[in-house]
Amino acid sequence: MTLADITHDVVVAEEDVLRADLYDLLAALLAKPPTRDLIDRVAKLDGDDGELGRAVRALTSLARATTEAAAEREFNRLFIGAARGELLPYASYYMTGFLHEKPLAVLRNDMAQRAIERAPNVFEPEDNIASLCEMMAGLILGRFGEPATLAGQKDFFSTHIAPWAGHFFADLEAAKASVFYAPVGAIGRAFMEIEREAFRMGA
Amino acid sequence: MSDDKAATSRRDFLKLASVTAPAVAVVAVTGAGTAEAAGARESGSGGYRRTEHVEKYLESARF
Repeated sequence: MTLADITHDVVVAEEDVLRADLYDLLAALLAKPPTRDLIDRVAKLDGDDGELGRAVRALTSLARATTEAAAEREFNRLFIGAARGELLPYASYYMTGFLHEKPLAVLRNDMAQRAIERAPNVFEPEDNIASLCEMMAGLILGRFGEPATLAGQKDFFSTHIAPWAGHFFADLEAAKASVFYAPVGAIGRAFMEIEREAFRMGA
Repeated sequence: MSDDKAATSRRDFLKLASVTAPAVAVVAVTGAGTAEAAGARESGSGGYRRTEHVEKYLESARF
């Protein structure tokens, strides 16, 4: 992608396309165990010396070393488990201590208003971190209709993501089962801080 | 601060924070496929199906 991504004849600014890419990357890594193809693409990333860039470089090194099977075992220990995974990456759980609580109801209401639906092959509640990241990317790029305004993105972020995602990503970074996923947690945590600060400035 | 100035400082901030590092963009993953625009599919109830994963989830939710 070069200067701008054109979706629905609306030009999305370069920095917003890149925010969407980062949300899509997090969504892809957190929705299901990474495929070899995804691991190989992650292995080609690079980063600068900022907090986000260092985390990206750490992930890149691990992507070069890991196997698909190892990454899948790690994903399962973290999110599936024998009884349950080490982490429960749901807004309801982080915000209330229980699953299927009011934050999920509020999200479903918001999704209906924004004409977003859960995909038919997905069985998880919509307030999981991967879906929320994917929805942010879709709102930025206009996958659900027109791209959301910055104010619209900020509303969605502030209501459904900002209250808990930073805590989740910090937990992911520190989780016992995390190796490949530790820098994913670091990337998410750094990115959530950047988003929070950027929304404070711009919307 | 005017809207224009706010937008500029936001853009500058995002650039400094290296969200715009070109390297991050090369992955270009298109969506995890968990959410879609309403009406994008023709049918489907959207209800839960009782897969093993859902069973575990419901158990942990103490339903």
